Amino acid sequence: MAEYAMKMNNIVKSFDGVCVLKDISLEVGLGEIHTLLGENGAGKSTLMNILGGVLPMDSGELYLFGEKVKIQNPSESQDLGIAFIHQELNVVNDLKVYENMFLGYELANKLGKLDKKTMCQKTQEVFERMNVEIDPNAMVRDLAASYKQIIEIAKALLRNAKIIIMDEPTTSLTTPEIENVFRIMRTLVRENVSIIFISHKLGEVVDFCDCYTVLRNGEKVCEGKITDKSGYKVTTTELAKQMVGRDVLGVNVYKEHEISDVILEVDNVRVGNYAKNISFSLRRGEILGFTGLLGDGKEELVRSLFGDMKIDEGTVKLHGKVVKISSPKKAHKLRIGFLPANRKENAIIKDLSIEENMTISTLRDCCRGITVIHKKEKEIALKYKQILKIKTGDLKNKITSLSGGNQQKVIFARWMNTLPEVIILCNPTQGVDVGAKNEIYNEIYELAKKGVAIIITSGEAQEIIKLSDRVKVMYHGEIKGELSHNELSEETIMILATGAKL
Amino acid sequence: MEFGTEKKGGLKTIWQKFYKEYSVILVAAVIFILATIFESSNFCSTQNIVNIVRNNAVIGVLALGMAFVIISGNIDLSVGSQLVAVGSIILAVINATSNIVIGIVVGIICSCLFSLITGLIVTKGRVPSFVVTLGLMNIYRSVCMYFMSGGGFYGSSKAYANISNYSLGNLIPLPIIYLLIVFAIYYYISKYTKLGRYIYAVGSNEKATRLSGINTDWVKIKAFILMGLSVGIAAVIETSRMNSMNASSSGTSYEMNAIAMVVIGGVSMSGGKGNLISAFFGIFILGIINNILTLMGVDVFLVNAIKGCIIILAVVLQKKEKI
Repeated sequence: MAEYAMKMNNIVKSFDGVCVLKDISLEVGLGEIHTLLGENGAGKSTLMNILGGVLPMDSGELYLFGEKVKIQNPSESQDLGIAFIHQELNVVNDLKVYENMFLGYELANKLGKLDKKTMCQKTQEVFERMNVEIDPNAMVRDLAASYKQIIEIAKALLRNAKIIIMDEPTTSLTTPEIENVFRIMRTLVRENVSIIFISHKLGEVVDFCDCYTVLRNGEKVCEGKITDKSGYKVTTTELAKQMVGRDVLGVNVYKEHEISDVILEVDNVRVGNYAKNISFSLRRGEILGFTGLLGDGKEELVRSLFGDMKIDEGTVKLHGKVVKISSPKKAHKLRIGFLPANRKENAIIKDLSIEENMTISTLRDCCRGITVIHKKEKEIALKYKQILKIKTGDLKNKITSLSGGNQQKVIFARWMNTLPEVIILCNPTQGVDVGAKNEIYNEIYELAKKGVAIIITSGEAQEIIKLSDRVKVMYHGEIKGELSHNELSEETIMILATGAKL
Repeated sequence: MEFGTEKKGGLKTIWQKFYKEYSVILVAAVIFILATIFESSNFCSTQNIVNIVRNNAVIGVLALGMAFVIISGNIDLSVGSQLVAVGSIILAVINATSNIVIGIVVGIICSCLFSLITGLIVTKGRVPSFVVTLGLMNIYRSVCMYFMSGGGFYGSSKAYANISNYSLGNLIPLPIIYLLIVFAIYYYISKYTKLGRYIYAVGSNEKATRLSGINTDWVKIKAFILMGLSVGIAAVIETSRMNSMNASSSGTSYEMNAIAMVVIGGVSMSGGKGNLISAFFGIFILGIINNILTLMGVDVFLVNAIKGCIIILAVVLQKKEKI
């Protein structure tokens, strides 16, 4: 048996003459958690897609457990013991846990009757191996996001995966849930399963992984052990520097800015069973953060402020006048903007072009009479392409041709162009790489400087700490406490978010 | 040298873009050429081509409205029966008032109102359009049968018949002109108005469109009203051509033919994708195929089987997104 689980030598890959992987070599040891780092578009996904058999390579060699192999399609890759867990969860909500585990590999007797008992039993065995407690008969719909992620991992184990590729498994999870997933990853490693881990959250990478490889623009920039022989532990700042080629994490992005009169007052609002007794006020130029753990009601609260959910009790005042925000359209008219969470589901209109996605909320301004003037749309799109540094050749391309960070910038531009007085940003940098993140942060400050009142919700404590003037921490639908910018730290947030008192 | 290669690349991408959006036009051209080669003597006469267009004008007008409904992510199965109902209203009003204009205006307004109701049930009642229009299809047809005792209904105004039977310069029948006018207006709506853009957006991702501050329910209802307008115009063309309407035989399977034309024209049944120019050519592809099959003397009973195969083939060949 060789010492490595997987070795890739001199992998080259190009699309339409553009070289995206230049001579990449990667080695992953047995029972090792190896993290693959890089900005969006650095070539991580391409490399993993080659390993997963989704894409063919142009040249290079691939060894698995000491043997040279050729992978031509995803099922070959699976047969060789490679499991690919994608960023978006591939579980079927309407099926039970064990049904999900055996989807496509159902056990049945000779007559074709499903053998439920054995399937449940085997599912249970895998869960025991992972040391988790999930009822095989539970509906997947009822499980928390981290458990869905765990089911994906369990599925890989059930198929005897030796190498598991995880593409940003933690983006939609909260901190305790992430720890849960990591705990299970640790158990697997002890059984000599190797894990290739892709993440943008450098903190967790440094804490949980063994080795790292950094890619930048299709080239390998550096590799090494997180903690080397002399006991030196690599820092997040160093990794971030390698990823973007410049210093980013060390920069304190918080900027002092002017905060003026009150624009939005929320008084004793209740939204279904999700949020209650919510009162706060927001000033022009102020950035107010909302944070908390999953199920704290912050998403529902901000959706109700945009008219996407019903406010059952309480009042909302805008400019001192009571307003009824009955629909997103009404909110738009009141000059409230909304950047929703889960971009793909809630913001991207996939069949429209980049340009059309940008102007959809302000199409009226591009009209002469009833006619939409395409030239005007183009002018607006070009303006924001420059302001937000959106990387694209042609604004007429479909929005889906862009990387995550650039897609988010387009949605941001959609709302900037409405000239909002209040803007609500939900997870503004979800699935966005480090470089683009800072660009978006800067734009948020630019908006605040112009006197826009900003509400930010985010599960990432770091982000909230960086941006907010004030933070409201929520717990089980109620505001548990307020922290000023100077009081902010991950500890203070976590204490309030878990329902404890400061 | 460098400049030359760049230009070539540019042409190539322009061609690729054209092919992606308008491959239906090429298919129409190929079918047209094949028809000319194999059946040149009969097919290629001006009279025959004029006939093809005229015979498909009514369903063509329906197909253009259907394109909006399908792009918005819905479907309307009731248009054939609605056409009978609207046609009967038009004839009844003309017979009662002896005024053609009042008859047409009342008919078209009623048709738009019918579709408004469809749209309201679909959006406010949150019922899938397939179910709503399946129900309405039966309701319209059944009510018409009841009032007309299962039989026909004749118009008394001779002048009314001119609307469809007069030919410009003794060559181009007016229904062709109506089809072209409806196409021009609908194309404009799809490409150059807010409503057009919103219809695409709603069909593509309704949630995201609503969260962009757009009243998506009204967009869908308006798409249905455009369908209603189509049905109204189609009913005028249909009734004036025969100056009659039959409760049991008129408008049967018009909705299916209209949907087939739209689908052949590259509009995706899942909504959000497709363009009116291609849909317009979809009308002719089905029309030409119908015509050729007749000219070649294919058994009448087999014509629909061949049409069915072609519909499926058309969709199989269409460029689809990878899953």
